[in-house]
Amino acid sequence: MTHAAITERGMSREEFLRRAAVVGGAGVLAGIGAGRAGAAGLTRFGSAAESGNLQVLDWSGYEVKDLWKQYAVTHPEMKPKFTFMTNEANALGKMRAGLKPDVVHPCVGYVKDFADSGFVQPWSPALIKNLKNLNPAMVRAGQIGGKQWWIPADWGFDKILYRTDKVKPKERSWSLMFDERYKGKIAWFDDLNQLVLAGYYLGFKTPYDQTDAQLKKSQDFLKSKKSLVRMFWSSETDLQTAFAAGEIWIAYAWPADYVAMKAKKLPVAYMQPKEGALSWICGFMLGKDSSRVQAAHAYVDAWSSKQAGSWLETNYAYGAANTTARPSDASLRKALQLDNPKSVSEPLAHIDRYIPRRALYSKMWDEVKAS
Amino acid sequence: MTTGTGDGLPAAPARPRRRHDLTTPVLLGLPLGWLIVFFVVPICFVGAYSVGVLSLFPGAHHLTFTTWHDFLHGSVYLTLFWRSVRMSLIVSVLVVLFAYPLAYFLALSGTKRKYVLLLVLIAPFLTSYLLRVLAWKVILGSNGVLNSLLFWTGLRSPDHPISQLLYSKFAVMLVLGYVWLPFVALPIFVSLESLDRRLLEAASDLGASRWQSFRKITLPLSLPGVAAAFMFVFIPTVGEFVTPSLVGGVTGYMYGNQISDLFGAGLDWQTGSVLSLFLLFVVAGLTLVFSRFLQIGRVTTG
Repeated sequence: MTHAAITERGMSREEFLRRAAVVGGAGVLAGIGAGRAGAAGLTRFGSAAESGNLQVLDWSGYEVKDLWKQYAVTHPEMKPKFTFMTNEANALGKMRAGLKPDVVHPCVGYVKDFADSGFVQPWSPALIKNLKNLNPAMVRAGQIGGKQWWIPADWGFDKILYRTDKVKPKERSWSLMFDERYKGKIAWFDDLNQLVLAGYYLGFKTPYDQTDAQLKKSQDFLKSKKSLVRMFWSSETDLQTAFAAGEIWIAYAWPADYVAMKAKKLPVAYMQPKEGALSWICGFMLGKDSSRVQAAHAYVDAWSSKQAGSWLETNYAYGAANTTARPSDASLRKALQLDNPKSVSEPLAHIDRYIPRRALYSKMWDEVKAS
Repeated sequence: MTTGTGDGLPAAPARPRRRHDLTTPVLLGLPLGWLIVFFVVPICFVGAYSVGVLSLFPGAHHLTFTTWHDFLHGSVYLTLFWRSVRMSLIVSVLVVLFAYPLAYFLALSGTKRKYVLLLVLIAPFLTSYLLRVLAWKVILGSNGVLNSLLFWTGLRSPDHPISQLLYSKFAVMLVLGYVWLPFVALPIFVSLESLDRRLLEAASDLGASRWQSFRKITLPLSLPGVAAAFMFVFIPTVGEFVTPSLVGGVTGYMYGNQISDLFGAGLDWQTGSVLSLFLLFVVAGLTLVFSRFLQIGRVTTG
């Protein structure tokens, strides 16, 4: 408004003030908006408005709303749309075939594989408020070259579950999985982690990165003990039905299986072996060409909240990465050793990690199964 | 009929207009097209994966036959293959032997309720495959129906159930046999049904005993049906992986499971493709040989 316009049109004082207020108000609002965006670090990803459903590639069972309740409140028009993965190989296969998820949920041993695959990009840790409550050792496991590629979400141990009324272990050790006395009553996990386990049992320094000779020793050892095993389990349902029916007395198992068997009133114990437990942790990675980056961060922030973590622990008997989360079940608290902050680090537990020669391990494990 | 042109040359004879009959090419073309698009093309893709032309991961990869070479030269997978073939052969032979009398009775006994009984035979198909396999878990388990019976009759003490009934090769073969029995009984039934009864009448008129007429007439004429039945059960069971994964345990692991593992957690599509194609070639080869030998086309005797 020029000076001439104001004076010539004879604008009243009230009108001028009203217009000034509107302009000023708009300016202030714009300033606040820009300020918030700037503070939130939007400049890296651009400030284009995000829309559409958040594409999530996840394990079956994690689509439950309670796990992302906070996100549903903050982003009601960008509901997550789930595609399910049966394992990391399946997820990679799907992404290779053209699926472009905004968020994917691999486990810690695959972080580097996924980072190298070209399908994911690092997170902006500043955008995830609940990150400070997550277990620092787990968070560190997701960093490569100073960048946060992976945010931990759920975890568990791999220990020995056994029937206290039928089995008398000689010692607190993985040797129970290879005990001749209980032939035909043992269940192993159908995964190349068995080779890692053999490595720890045989006393190798770096079981996740064994030399050819060590790997052959591990493989031969497993082959020699295979006759004692009744089944290899790949889904917890298989294990729990067989264990509950009395087909299996000793199993490589997760805390959820211990809790489930206790719920069925079976006399069981969840043994911490002297060689150390193994630990799996699964978490989120961000899709490379995601156009919903803000929403993806919000989604992971929701998962990382205490409420979601407690729900996960209470209902699925998996650990939550948020250290303040607590389950309602006392037996799970005990199984996850939630009151002992050192339980998920060396030497008590060996967190799964990148296996540089995974293809070879996989081949060796397949050979054990085929022999 | 000629139409003369002005210059006196004889006109070309008019060609009779023929309607091109498109019915046969279309009827043939549709299934053929389907087969090409949904069978041949995917097989070519699998072939490409097996030689490294296509790869699961981005990065350098080139045409290579080493995977094929390693597989064919004393690999553990090849041993697994022959083990699976042996298991399938045993299942197929036993099921055919078991189904033959069943089909014989249904076709040739002259009972009025023939088709009702046939329906009863096929009835299990109406339920879910998974449920039927899981039912066997209940029957064969260490505390299942069979073992409980043994405990109750005192033949075995409750501390020593027969645990080899479940999660073993035996369990896999038993369940596969049970699942495929109706498939096997049907072709044999069809071929026996279409048997010319007058031949049997003639045989008995000429003084042949029942056994002789069976051996000389019924059996040879039903052989194409038996061969078809055998292929019906052998081909699918060689590549089976669901039943072994449910009731096979450690020893019941079959070739199909290996393929499934390689494509899945094994992350090795190249070896998985090699194994798949090998199975395809062997089965295709066997089918060709068998069908030539036993003239499948004669399942229904004219």
